[in-house]
Amino acid sequence: MSAFKTLLATVVGLCLGLYATWYAVEQDVAFGNVRAGPWVGQLRNGTREADPYARAALARHGETPIGLTEGLSFIAREDDAGARLNPSCSYHISGPIPPARYWTISLLSPQGHLLPVPLDRHGFTSAEVLRDARGHMVIEIAASARPGNWLPAPKGRDFVVMLRLYDTALSANAGSVTAATMPRLTRGACA
Amino acid sequence: MTHKTRGRDTRFIFFPWFFGALFLAGIVHIVSIFAMPWLAPKDAFARMAAAAPAHQLILLPDPTPQSGAPYDDPALVQGVCRYDLSQGRLRLRAMLPPDELLLMSFHGRQGQVYYSMTDRSATRGVLDVLIVTRAQLDLVEANDKEDELPQDLRIIAPTLEGFILLRSLSERPSLREEARQRISSMSCGLDGEGKP
Repeated sequence: MSAFKTLLATVVGLCLGLYATWYAVEQDVAFGNVRAGPWVGQLRNGTREADPYARAALARHGETPIGLTEGLSFIAREDDAGARLNPSCSYHISGPIPPARYWTISLLSPQGHLLPVPLDRHGFTSAEVLRDARGHMVIEIAASARPGNWLPAPKGRDFVVMLRLYDTALSANAGSVTAATMPRLTRGACA
Repeated sequence: MTHKTRGRDTRFIFFPWFFGALFLAGIVHIVSIFAMPWLAPKDAFARMAAAAPAHQLILLPDPTPQSGAPYDDPALVQGVCRYDLSQGRLRLRAMLPPDELLLMSFHGRQGQVYYSMTDRSATRGVLDVLIVTRAQLDLVEANDKEDELPQDLRIIAPTLEGFILLRSLSERPSLREEARQRISSMSCGLDGEGKP
């Protein structure tokens, strides 16, 4: 009876421990994430100070993050209202982008891979995006073609939005990232 | 008290087993998290080792929905130079065109970034980086001329094996070839090769 209980406790302990590890790695549990509106930045990944959870997740996914002096990378899995990005809705990205030498906005699958989209248009860079006379820009994420900066979304496939700021003054002070300085991600019409 | 049988409180009879299992789970969790960078089969270094021979600058293929590393920026063209310092020092040299964004990150064996910079770090458009171990640095410094400042940037790598990722921004899709050119014009290899 006692041997059985020991065995059971061992098996339960092993499974629980490995499950916790799997969960932490797949859900990207990491400390020191920066949140600003819908944007989440794992800024310490690009430094020697990445925590053990971040290191484990990076190794598991084979990711190569950019270094903190190269730029900052943010991911949005939700819109401004906190709702998960819905593939049957259109979205607008507008408003301020923190000062950077270049920025890019791109659409990826929740696992971080490219999506099969029309025109192979996966994102925009600050150099190519169309701006109005006052310098404002709006990027529209939609499954069907739009005038202006149309970022095609794949029909019926989940996506996330990535914002990267290259050679930005923010690097030195990641604490200065607030929702007011970041672009808005608002939901438009839903099919 | 119905829980009492033969003088023992059965409510607590499973407690040692419960806490034992929880304790073991904690240890397994911590050990596996710390072991992950050493055990993960598809980590960044394994990917680079499959894509590029050591001490050579190789352009990585453009990502597709089926291939490529997760969370890479599709606007970047990437090149990699993998190294093994047990075979010698590594030198990265480039003449950089003014004001074209070039990102450089230096990764250790577990993929971690131990140094990073952009083209802005180049002096007068010239980039000269030497990747060394602590012992190799001592050797290099011993051979430095005393009245001259070294012209290269010397970085001590935390692990013998690692890789340098060079990323160049293609401002628009039609400029991708230029971005590729900027990377393939750089040179990366064992230090001292091809010199008298």
